[in-house]
Parts: sequence; C-alpha cells; structure tokens
Amino acid sequence: MAAIEIRDLTKRFGDVTAVDGLDLTVESGEVFGFLGPNGAGKSTTINVLLDFVAPTTGSASMLGLDVADDRTELHRRIGVVPENYGLYDRLSGRRHVELAVDLKDASDDPDALLDRVGLSPADRDRPAGEYSTGMSQRLALAVALVGSPELLILDEPTGGLDPNGARELRELIVAENDRGATVFFSSHILEQVEAVADRVGILQDGRLAAVDSIEHLRQNLDGGARVSLRVDREPERVPSDLPNVRDVDVGDGVVEGTCLEPDAKLAFIDRVREAATVTDVRIEESSLEDMFASYTAEDVDAERAEPAASAEGQP
Amino acid sequence: MSVRTVARKDLADAGRSKSLWAVTLLVLFVTAGITALVGTTSDESTVQVFQLAFQLAVLTLPIVALVLAKGAITGERESGSLRVLLSLPPSRYDVLLGKFLGRTALMLVATLVGGVATAMVVVTTLGGGVELLVPFVGSLGLMTVAFVAVGVGISAASATDGRANAFAVGAYMLLVALWNLVQAGIRAGATELGLVEAGSQPAWLEFLGVFPPNRAAVAAYESAVAGGRVFAADPFASVWFPVAILFAWIVVPVAFGYLRFRDADIA
Repeated sequence: MAAIEIRDLTKRFGDVTAVDGLDLTVESGEVFGFLGPNGAGKSTTINVLLDFVAPTTGSASMLGLDVADDRTELHRRIGVVPENYGLYDRLSGRRHVELAVDLKDASDDPDALLDRVGLSPADRDRPAGEYSTGMSQRLALAVALVGSPELLILDEPTGGLDPNGARELRELIVAENDRGATVFFSSHILEQVEAVADRVGILQDGRLAAVDSIEHLRQNLDGGARVSLRVDREPERVPSDLPNVRDVDVGDGVVEGTCLEPDAKLAFIDRVREAATVTDVRIEESSLEDMFASYTAEDVDAERAEPAASAEGQP
Repeated sequence: MSVRTVARKDLADAGRSKSLWAVTLLVLFVTAGITALVGTTSDESTVQVFQLAFQLAVLTLPIVALVLAKGAITGERESGSLRVLLSLPPSRYDVLLGKFLGRTALMLVATLVGGVATAMVVVTTLGGGVELLVPFVGSLGLMTVAFVAVGVGISAASATDGRANAFAVGAYMLLVALWNLVQAGIRAGATELGLVEAGSQPAWLEFLGVFPPNRAAVAAYESAVAGGRVFAADPFASVWFPVAILFAWIVVPVAFGYLRFRDADIA
C-alpha cells in the first residue's frame, strides 16, 4: 500500500493555480524528498495532505485513508513538522510533547523523545517562547515523533538548524526509516535531500518535473563537466567540432568546454594542446544545483552560461 | 477526549497570560470598588446598590469577555501553533469547541470571583440581600459566556487578529454601547414606514430591547429579583425568555464561527 497517493490534484487560489493536476505516489518505507523552488506548489500540496486547505479538484490519501474524511485516525498515525509552525509561548517544551502524547493516545515518555532530538533537560522546562529557532525546531521534531508514526511529513525541516543540527536530523530520518516509517520531506536544500532520500520529486509550477532516484536523475541529465584550460596563447580556431563537447568559449587566456562524457574531456584537452600549450587544467563536475536548475529553469542553456561567464574572469 | 485536552491546554496557556489577569483585576476593582463606595456613602437600599453593581458589570464584563475570546483562534492562526494542533488528531470542531470551553471556564472563574466579591461587599456594608446573590452571579455568568461565544465565533470566522479585533470592537459598540441608538433608529424607521403606530410597543420592538446579551441579562436579573417568575404569562416579565436569548447567544455565534472556520484555508 502506498504511503501517499495524490491523484490529479489541482488547487487554485482565485486566478492563481498553485498545484496543477499533480499525480504522485510515495511508496511505503521509502524516504522521499520533495524538491522545488519557492512558489512551486510544495507547501500547497502538503497543506492539502494535512487537510489545511481543500483541493479544488482531485484527491489525496495517506496510509490508504482519505486526507479529509479520515483525518482523525490518519493524524493519529502520522507525525508532522508543518511549515511556519508556531509553539505555545507560555507552555514548556515538555508540556508540548505531553499535549501531543495526550492527543494521540500514545504512551511515549516525553523525556525520551526530547533526549532523541537533543533538547537539554534544562531547556525542556523553560517556556517555548524563550526558545531559539534551532531549539523550537528540535521541539517540533519531538512532537512529530510522538506515537511512533508510520509516516513522517517534514516541511522544510532543516530551516533554522545549524550544520550540526542538520546532521542530527539526517540521522534521525535514517533511524525512523530503519524503524519502518515512511519519510516525506520537502526542501530547497539539495544536499540535505541527496544525503538521505531514496527518491526525489521535483515540483515546478505546480507540476511534477521529475520523479526518480538521485542517481537516475543525474544520469538522465547531460550536465557533464566544465573543463577550463589555461593556455599560453589563445588558439585561432575554436575546437568546437568534437562530439560530446559543447558550449566552447575562448577568452582571457582560457579555453573552456562542457564535456558530456569522460572520454570527451581527454579528447578536448588533446585538441587544445594541438593549438597551444596548456599550463593549467580545472574541471568542475555538474553539481546537483545545476541539475536542479536544469529541471526548474525555463531556459537551461541560459543557466549554464552563467558559471562559464564567471569562470572567464578568474585569473 | 480531544476537546477536553485542547480545553485544558488552552486554560493552562491563556491562564498564564498576565495581561488577561490585569484586565480582570481592574474590572473587579472598578465594579466592586464603586459598589462599595456607593454602598457606604449613600443611603440607597441593598436592592438598589445591587442594581447599580449589575449595571456596571453589564457594561464592563462584555469587554473582558471579548478581549479574552477574540484571539482564541486567530492568535493560534497567526503564531502558527494552530498548524501544529491541526496536524495532530484534533479536528477543527474539536479545536473550536475546546477553545470555547477553555475560555468559558476562565471567564466563569473571573465572573464568579468578581460577582461574589461585589455581592459580598454589598451584603457586608448594607446587610441582607444574600438571596440576590444567585440571580446576580447567574445572570452575569450566562452573559459573560454569551460574550465569550461571540468573541470565539468572531475569532473563528476571522483570518487575522486585526480583523478579529475590529469585529470584537464592533460587536461591543453595537450590542452594548450603541444599542439604544440602534433601537431608536429601528423604531423611527419602522414608524416612518408605517409598520408601527407612534407610541405603541409591539412585541418585536420589545424583543429588540432585550436582544443583546447584556440586555437579556438585565431582563433576567430584574425578572428574578422582581418576583422570581420563571414562567410568567408575559415572556418579557419572566426569567425563561431572556435566559433562552442568552443560550441562543451562546450557540449561534460559535456555530456560525465553526462554519466559517471549517471551510477556511489554514495557509
């Protein structure tokens, strides 16, 4: 049974279409990263899943339960860190967790959960209004973990966490996944997703631009590597006839080209050496950011041209 | 189950608000203090001093109730804690009802303390009048719950705190401060249109006179004190009718607020 099943989901706010005919299935037991730039419709999709907003058309279910009709049973079995969540300023951290334990009919020990997320014993007795963003985030996670949920939904969970906190969060996600929980989390930070997600979905303009494992996404992309060669004199003829080498530029004593295959790098270097002496070599593999940009940008080539232009200015 | 937990949480949270208690103490001080002053310095009878204290209370307690209730939902909506609460099992119905019960409990405690304190002042300074205590506190209690319902209903129907504030002020102005004008305006309009003969008092105009919760509370108190007629031939002279109006004021605003809240986008 799928952990999340979204069918032909559309949500319009007035004239604005936030989600446009989205179909998405998240399998039980996987860690799914939900990526997309701001305004792509990630939050709206999650808001529909949590029954915060009603879909214009289409349907969504989690754990086989309708997100609206079966919400009480469903919300007992999921754990959520919503986006833009708030805490009760006058209640202590421990009281927050106790409240969630009560509401979920769970039997967790609040202190054990707060230990797991790393909120110190002194801090848990302070009112949440005094918490830093990072402490609030840890508390929100503890609340989400109440009742050993079958499905964890984390909306931008790394916001407000320092690098150490972000690493602990990744470990927590892995541990929850090992326990058997499905984890669905949204992010705009690619390295967070890359580190733990089995599969990612990239949302763009309310539609799914891609769904696949990180490796497959990378393979399917002809991102290639940007090879920059410093030369003693610029060749008169630009070596642009090689297969699998694109976007060749010459300027400021540097010859650059994007090589789509490993072989092409050597061929490109050899060709340049025929015309000039190469004094230095720099190779930049296409990053996840490029991959992300290539899925989400309207004009892929325009995106790729920018790093090339900046590389020319380097000594 | 969820409703009770939400109500308890709300009691614990709102009960820690210092500004709330400051306002309550201020109102208590003004009501009980002025009553004490009148009771000790004038030669009014016990019943008259109680009457004065009641008039003071129906002017001030609605403000306290509205201030206490107007942020019940919008406050959580703006802080984002509503998103946490609704991602847990409670439904919007549970949240609204729990909030209403929590704020009602707080308001009843404040009203009970204030009402009993005021009544004690009258009884100790003037002697007698203990039998007035139940209608005094009972009418005020029902009225404050009605205003909590209005405030919670407004809060549930409003998207922001600012809007809830505006509606709460509007509700107070309309129902408490300016109702005489509203009533006079409607009467004048109805006379102009020939619906009412000048000088006559049809039942519906009389109904307008006891329509706001504060007026209904006064009517209930006066009927109870005058003769204790729970079911008189004339509904306007009996206790049940204004009490029924007060119960309607408790149910209708919360129900209206729920319908708006149920369909709202919590984004």
